[in-house]
Amino acid sequence: MANETAHAEHAHAHPDFLQHHFDTPTQQFNASKLGMWVFIATEILMFGGLFCAYAIWRGLDPDIFDQAHHFLNKTMGATNTVVLLFSSLTAALAVRSAQVGKRNLTSIYLVITILCACVFLVVKYFEYTHKFHLGLLPGHCFGHPWFSASVQGGQEIGTCLRTTDTASAVMPEWVKAVDESGQVTVLPPRANMYFGLYFVMTGLHGLHVIIGMSILIWVLVKNIRGKFSPAYFTPVDLGALYWHLVDLVWIYLFPLLYLVGKPE
Amino acid sequence: MSTEHAHDAHAGHGHDDADDGAVHVHIGSNQSYIGIFLALIFLTFMTVKVSYYDFGSANIIIAMLIATMKASLVAAFFMHLRYDKLFNTLAFLGSFLFLAVFILLTYDDLGNRGKVDPAYGGTVVSGVTAPGGAPATTATQDDVAEEAPHAGSAVAPAGAEKPPSPKKE
Repeated sequence: MANETAHAEHAHAHPDFLQHHFDTPTQQFNASKLGMWVFIATEILMFGGLFCAYAIWRGLDPDIFDQAHHFLNKTMGATNTVVLLFSSLTAALAVRSAQVGKRNLTSIYLVITILCACVFLVVKYFEYTHKFHLGLLPGHCFGHPWFSASVQGGQEIGTCLRTTDTASAVMPEWVKAVDESGQVTVLPPRANMYFGLYFVMTGLHGLHVIIGMSILIWVLVKNIRGKFSPAYFTPVDLGALYWHLVDLVWIYLFPLLYLVGKPE
Repeated sequence: MSTEHAHDAHAGHGHDDADDGAVHVHIGSNQSYIGIFLALIFLTFMTVKVSYYDFGSANIIIAMLIATMKASLVAAFFMHLRYDKLFNTLAFLGSFLFLAVFILLTYDDLGNRGKVDPAYGGTVVSGVTAPGGAPATTATQDDVAEEAPHAGSAVAPAGAEKPPSPKKE
């Protein structure tokens, strides 16, 4: 590359990590960071579509959100919130360790962050299977006996998934289920809207958890191979920024899905 | 808060674009990060606790206020925006500005669907529900039959008939 010329011009070493189209590591670092922040802005706008749908549907039918949100487990949601906040802390500390050149400590913090991501997904798995079991699902799957063991539909709904003709698919008139406090509640079929939002919003977030884990694993491998130093830690920084974004989205999802509504 | 730097060999240089081959960033202390984490846990506890009390329509406002406080802490300290270039903060906050435009205009659209336009005096086809919104007018089929002589067309399938749109072309 242009190493020799650059060396002559600037009278200081051009390290390996410096791309030839940047003058200084600082310039390269600032450009990378700005790019990451613009990407984060696009991510917020992508989730924004779902938050907009939530705002509209909640505005149109607040009662159904109130009834349906009691079927979510606050304890599991709060546990996952604490797990994600803790993983955000370890991600921030991983960046700090990379900044001061403590390579082993960076690895340890990254491993803890990745393990927290696994814990989050395991808790989410238990929440999802519980909802599948109750038949609390989006669209025509809501209350469907194929998924649910303890749910009764008001109408014959046995063929709704087998037919390709959506017009003839029949929804149950109501779905009876036991919520988290042990109380039997009857949900009308339009409650499928709430669970549609729940699964799409947490599903997209869960996808981000998996992508974030993959990025952090890649950063971890590079760190173990000794690619980072106090002069160059950009991938650790940007990987952690992505992970914090996952945390940011959850900070809003948790109250909107688990907490908002009238207490019992 | 600690002010160590990745490289301390920048005596006499300007802070931002010092051309000494090193990246200068603010490095927060371990204690400060743990302090932020504890504040986040406290706010999480608060938002769960508060959800057991009913404040009516203020429920969602309180929940969103606490969530925004938490998000601000994460963005400012964990994501280093507090010590970053201001432009990064602008890029980040700009997305929320456009999100607000998105949500408010969608609300405005839904809230005003099916209304009679006073300027053109146009009415939406009676008895037909505006797409995605509330019933188009309070008028019934019978009202239209009295007023309009061509009421026969109202018997035709509603979907086949296009609502009159005076402001087009």
